[in-house]
Amino acid sequence: MEKILQKKSFPKWVEKLDAYEIYSPVKKDNTWSYEIINTPGDIELDYPNAVQAPKKIINPQREVFLEFGRSDDDTLEVTEVLPEEKSVVIFGVRPCDAKALTLTDLVFSEDIKDNYYGKRRKQTAIIGLACNTPPSPNCFCTSVDGSPHSEDGFDILLTDLGDRYFVKSLTNMGNDLINLGKGLFVAPKANEKKELAKIHADAEKKLKRQVNDVEKIPPKLKEMFESAFWDEESMSCLRCGICTYLCPTCHCFDISDEVTSVAPFKGYRIRTWDNCQFPDFTMHSSGHNPRPDKASRLRQRIMHKYQYFVERYDHYQCTGCGRCISKCPVGIDIIEVLNKVRDYG
Amino acid sequence: MVKLEDLKKEATQILKSGKVKYIIGYAKGADGFMPIPTFISDPEDVENLTWNPACVHNLTKFIVDEKKRLKKDKNPDNRPIGIIVKGCDSRAINVLLQEKYIDRDDVYLLGVSCEKTGVVDEKKLAKTLKGQRVVQIDFEDNGNFLVTTESGSEKIPAEDVLAERCIECKANFPVVFDIVFGEKIKRQVDKPFQSVETIEDLSQEDRWKFWKEQLDKCIRCYACRSVCPMCYCDECVVDTISFAVEPDTSAEEKAQKIKWIEKSPNLSENIVYHLTRAMHLAGRCIDCGECERVCPLDIPIRFLNKKMEKDAKNFFDYEVGFDPDQPSLVSSFKDEDPEDFIR
Repeated sequence: MEKILQKKSFPKWVEKLDAYEIYSPVKKDNTWSYEIINTPGDIELDYPNAVQAPKKIINPQREVFLEFGRSDDDTLEVTEVLPEEKSVVIFGVRPCDAKALTLTDLVFSEDIKDNYYGKRRKQTAIIGLACNTPPSPNCFCTSVDGSPHSEDGFDILLTDLGDRYFVKSLTNMGNDLINLGKGLFVAPKANEKKELAKIHADAEKKLKRQVNDVEKIPPKLKEMFESAFWDEESMSCLRCGICTYLCPTCHCFDISDEVTSVAPFKGYRIRTWDNCQFPDFTMHSSGHNPRPDKASRLRQRIMHKYQYFVERYDHYQCTGCGRCISKCPVGIDIIEVLNKVRDYG
Repeated sequence: MVKLEDLKKEATQILKSGKVKYIIGYAKGADGFMPIPTFISDPEDVENLTWNPACVHNLTKFIVDEKKRLKKDKNPDNRPIGIIVKGCDSRAINVLLQEKYIDRDDVYLLGVSCEKTGVVDEKKLAKTLKGQRVVQIDFEDNGNFLVTTESGSEKIPAEDVLAERCIECKANFPVVFDIVFGEKIKRQVDKPFQSVETIEDLSQEDRWKFWKEQLDKCIRCYACRSVCPMCYCDECVVDTISFAVEPDTSAEEKAQKIKWIEKSPNLSENIVYHLTRAMHLAGRCIDCGECERVCPLDIPIRFLNKKMEKDAKNFFDYEVGFDPDQPSLVSSFKDEDPEDFIR
């Protein structure tokens, strides 16, 4: 379904979505983040991209699995905790971040369906915002099968046409949301469709960075497991978790029990994000770690995204959002690393 | 002004003569104007060295990696490593010497003077230039930076875009070095704690609100810990497992690892993490400001360290990183130390 929505009508549409919990990018001390908004006026869509991808809403950093404790008669009680049932809408999602969700879907719905992720994913509508200009100088989505107006993972994609949005619904969930704002949406005219095509085409040209011949990288990586390349490239790595925690596709997790009270005994079994750049990642109880140094950890990050994932799912597990480049404290640049891999040896 | 050519000449010379095994310095990054740390062992690569107001990184952090490598190496090369140090970075060297983490001849220090200015705050620069893409930034005379953007070059008063820590800096000239580049220029800092005073001036209620909001944002990427030259412990209080496991460590011993701080990135645990970090840096932080620069969520972490620094100065007349032989703040006492806060 394709529609036009005047920007001045946008808050009226959001008002109709009062049955939903609404997230939108919000600027807080110079940093954009997805937050729950209470009034339509708080939604800001004139923004680059959030520091943290909307992954944090679908796959939160801390997910409670179980609640445990001792009752008065000293029996151990265990209660399963599932995500709260609610309908959620996220506005302003960039194409790279929505595509990232479709990649995480592959992992969490393969042979074992993850109820927690699955439930949040199912009850959340993703409303996208096409990138008319690259939100970051390090955007490279077109190198990894993406585009500034990719529709992957969206229920609705908005494109900014100045005073209007071109609204394209891609799922039934999207249609339902548009139907709630009946009367506010009109059919696009031929010239508006033309305008849309032009904006989309121009946006692709504005991307400054790219990885050429990206298809040469997975087979190349396969030969580079033991290469000294990783020692060289990781020299300046600090072992922090920025690249991985900010990555929209990284999904590794750890499960632990946290006791919140000793008397009465009470606690939670939780899932928290894990991070392949940390020294305790894949640490065995014997004290052995198959990834003992930062070279093997950088290798893991690149290999997972550009070799193992490609082999298993036939997709790059990187959507070119550029966050790991922009936020790396020492300027480790995945585009540069990939270009070097391609040309290595 | 620091002449890059002089720096390169010295770097080439010490590499060629074998005086150092490699040099840690700054090089141009793959894209954008921010330099990256570089490790040079081939004199031919000295050409890549750069020095400009975007050389923000405190390179002394990489000493920790070198120490780890030496420990593992069966035939260690014990020659010093060359490191380019700004004034603040050189204070870190003094703390590492004071704590006997390194010996003076483990490092060959190529000091660089920040003279009248210092390094840039990327966020301030972006704001000043209203989104124009910076290609290059250089030192200019008279306290200015020369900023080249895609649309041309312009002079900007350094004070408009200087990192906060440089505005309050007490060491614009290295305090320890083997060779130094640039002039020693006396710079008066009247209010060395003005930034943290803006927080101190708030009511207790507002301060709590401020920190609650700020620390709630933390995602525990530990970049602030990872970038800190003083965070060199083999095992950190936040690590969930023990790294001291040997093949004969019993299951019970492994299970007994105390979890001081839980993995949950919630306000309570985040506060414990950040306050522990701040306390561990009391009398050790040299205010290179790297923790705050690298925070992806813009948490003003430096305030916590600055508060420790201020208290150390006011209560114990203690300043960090100027004298490698002074007793450390937390392991020494003087008869005249105040006691009125001990209850």
